[in-house]
Order: sequence, then C-alpha cells, then structure tokens
Amino acid sequence: MTTDADIIRRSSESPQAFTELYDKYARMIHRYAARRAGESAAEDVMAETFLVAFERRDSFDQTWNDARPWLFGIATNLLRKHHRAEAKILKVLAKSSGRDSYADSTDRIAEQLDAAAATSVLAGALRGLSAADRECILLYAWAELSYEGIALATKVPVGTVRSRLNRARRVLKDAAGPFRNENEEAEHGRAEIAT
Amino acid sequence: MDELKLLREMNSDIPIVKDSVIDVGRDQLMSRMTTAGVKKSKRRYRKTLRITVMTAATLGLVTTLVAGNVIGLAGWRGAASAEAAEVLNNAAALTIQTVDPVVGPGQYLKIDSTNLWLSAYGVQDPSESVGSNTTVQWLDTEKMSMYVPANHDDEWVWDRSGRIPTTFFSEQAKEIALQQAQQIGNTSEHLKAAKGAFYDSTSTFPSKKELAGYSRDPSMLLNGIYLKTLGAGQSVDGEALVYIADMLRTGLIPADLRAALYKAAALIPGVVVTENQATLDGQNGVAIGRVEGVSNVRQDIIIDPSNGQLIGERQLTMEAMGSVPAGATISWTTIRTTVVDSAP
Repeated sequence: MTTDADIIRRSSESPQAFTELYDKYARMIHRYAARRAGESAAEDVMAETFLVAFERRDSFDQTWNDARPWLFGIATNLLRKHHRAEAKILKVLAKSSGRDSYADSTDRIAEQLDAAAATSVLAGALRGLSAADRECILLYAWAELSYEGIALATKVPVGTVRSRLNRARRVLKDAAGPFRNENEEAEHGRAEIAT
Repeated sequence: MDELKLLREMNSDIPIVKDSVIDVGRDQLMSRMTTAGVKKSKRRYRKTLRITVMTAATLGLVTTLVAGNVIGLAGWRGAASAEAAEVLNNAAALTIQTVDPVVGPGQYLKIDSTNLWLSAYGVQDPSESVGSNTTVQWLDTEKMSMYVPANHDDEWVWDRSGRIPTTFFSEQAKEIALQQAQQIGNTSEHLKAAKGAFYDSTSTFPSKKELAGYSRDPSMLLNGIYLKTLGAGQSVDGEALVYIADMLRTGLIPADLRAALYKAAALIPGVVVTENQATLDGQNGVAIGRVEGVSNVRQDIIIDPSNGQLIGERQLTMEAMGSVPAGATISWTTIRTTVVDSAP
C-alpha cells in the first residue's frame, strides 16, 4: 500500500505526485476549516495548506506514514489568520438558542437532547477557552487526531496536549452539563466529594 | 451523551464542498509545481515521541482503591516534605483565624487578578524548507476584575483586558507577538451574566453549594479530589495539586476550605518548598510545589507566611521548550479580593 510518506518522498523527484495527497485530503481539510471558520475561509485555508505543504515537503517527518497531523498543523496555523471569522461564528452560535432554553429554568433539564441548545452552550464554552486549548480540543474532536498527532501538529509535547485536552474537556463538560444524558451525574457528581 | 460526543456533532452539517472549489485549489497547486524545481531529498527523523500513559500497575491500584472507595489514596503513600508541610499547616492555622470579608446585600466580592499565559506561534518561513518549522513563544498578560454579587443568582460582572503580549523569549517572538497583537486588535471585554454564566454557557465557577459540599477534613478532601480528577492530568498527585491551585485562584473559596486545601496539599507526595523567597507580581512569599516528572513542569502555589494569604500560583518548565529556557515561568496568576459597593 502506498503511504503518505511514499507519496511525499516521490514528490521530491516528481512534484506532480503531490497531487495524490491533495486528492486524498483536500476535502478533509476544507471540512475542518469550514467547521471552524466558515466556508469562505475554508477555501483559502484548503488551497494554502497544500501550497505550504508542497513547498515544505522535504521537511515532512518520514517516520510518520500518515500526513494528516502535518497537514492539520499547517491548516491550524493558517486558520489563526481567520480568527475573526471563527470568533463571529462562535458568537452567533452561542447566541442562537441557548438564551431561550436557559431563561426557562424549570425546563432546564430537557427530556430530550436539544442539539441547537447544546451547540449554543458549547459554542459559548469554546469562546471562553484559550486559542491553544480550543485548537487542541477541535483537532481531537473534529480532525480526529490522536494525542501524538496533535502534539506533532501543534509542535508541543504530548504532555502539554494531555493537559490542554483535560482542561478543555472540563470546561465543556461543565457547560454541557444539562445536555448530557447522565443527568444524575451532572447534578450530583460534584457532591461525591462531600464526606 | 458526553461533552465530546456533543462537540463532535456540533457544526457537522457543513455542506459538501463543491467540486469547482476543489478544482481551483488543485489548479493553484499544479501551477506552483510547474514553477518548482526538483528538490534534493533531505530527510529528517524526529525523535520517537514519548507516549505518556499511566502504567497498568498504577491504574489498577487507583481503580481498586479509589473507584472502589475502599480506602483513599491520601496518607499512606507518603506526603509533602516536612518543610513544605510546616509552611502549609502554619498557613492553614493562620487562615482558619481569618474572617472572610462579609459581602452584604447589594455588595460585590471583587476579585482582581493578573494572569500570564504562554502563547506559541508556528513560524512559516518559505525560504528554507528544512528547519523552518520553528515555534516561537511569549507570555501574554491579562488583567481581570470579577464582581461576584452577594446573591450568586444575580448578575456577575467581568472585566477582561484581553491578552497583551508582555514577555518575549526571543527577538523573533517579540516581532511576531506584536504583529499578531496588532492584527487581532483590542480584545478587552466587559461581560455581564446572571449566575456567572458568562459566554452564554453554564458557570464554570464553583457554586456555594459545591463549596459547601467539600469535606473540611484534609484526608477526606484530598481523597475526594483524587476521585474527581481520576484519569486526568499526568499523574494523580500532580493533578490533585493543579486542582487545588485552580480552586484557590478562583478567589471564591471560604477561609475554612482554603485552610483544608492547604492541609490537603501537605498530604500530597512530592510536594516540597521550591523557593523560600519567591516574588510574584511584586509580592513576596514561600513557594510550595511539585515537579511533574512526565511533563517536567512544576506547579507552585505561593503563600505569604505571615498571614497565610495566597499570593498566587505559577507553572515553570524544568526543560527548554523551543525558545523558552529551562526554569522559566510559563504561566502565573495572582489574586486579590475586596468587597465593593457597586459594579461597573
């Protein structure tokens, strides 16, 4: 089977081989960027990611067969230029439906999952995270990278990824409390600390 | 459904990208290729990534003893050094005598904090493909004032200065940080939210009910913290200390619980006096901390030994991280609480 490393190695001698990598991953990068910063930003980020990757193909770490952490790392960097678009999306989502569902506290624990309201509180929580924590949790949840993949993509030690993910999850968990199925746990989990 | 599953479903209804968009990107790539010469292959091997997992033995032990609730982890695996325990226990004794300022009806507890955080930016230098993947680091400062109403259900106010780059670990970091800051512009915020539910999400600050629920017995409290943080962080002891530091820095912890948290920290193995004369934001105190062996980061809490007051907390890296030298402080928070009659 041809691995990504094979494609990139081959593209050193014959650049056209690099289009195989584009065909394989362009849609994936577009989707990730669109979820974070909207479709217009995603078009730029997708095209630019592969231009940068192509220019820097010799720096690809050949010990990794999978190019995704490397590509998502480049895309993550490029997305920082679109932070305004991302902030706007999160702001709109946070305001979309959370208000109503929260105003009525008697209905606060909905019988069934209200996806829009859940999105709203999660968007609010994502806004409150530091950029590094947000990038980390979204590379995990949306780009589906492993801890090691995120470490490679964001160029920090695995331990840092671990603590960023823990912190982000804690914030999201608190925010998502009423929407998680285990309402019992959400309501009483904290009381377990009591003697 | 847990928070990750909810997050995975969020924004998942993005339309499929049009083929025309894919084609445009492909054309751009192709035209770049035709102008690029054939490069000589330069391979670079990365050191094998260190994978950090709790060992099976540790995990087994923790599961049996903590989750089974048979016996807690606190107490029998050792504790803080005698010197650190003395500082912490003295601080606890002084704290318990402290009367927290009373927040009367209509008044606010005002929590002023200065926070320093690490920022990193991957530098793309197209002129040199190998070795161009450098990351530069700097510290941002954010000053905050939070006004917590006497009745926590009322409106909270939170003034945030936004992150302002202040400490640079290299000239390049300074250049990039200032450029980024200029691009991003002013990020200061003036937030208001009932029940502390800022950003339209549930409050992430401990509620009065939650605070009342923590045991004031140091061993029971520490066991509860071990149980709550199980599986998180680099190690059970490291995460427990981080949890204690996180709680203390909220500024919302009543004196009796602060005292119990100090005593609980004195029961954590590996906790020592890390600096006798530590200065944080111009205030002097004793630093108590623990080096996390896995990440080589030290978590400190800094206490004024004369009155037991928490000055703040900080994290230092014990090894060089990119342009950050070993021993550098990579984040800190100082807090000061007062009672005020009104909020802005």
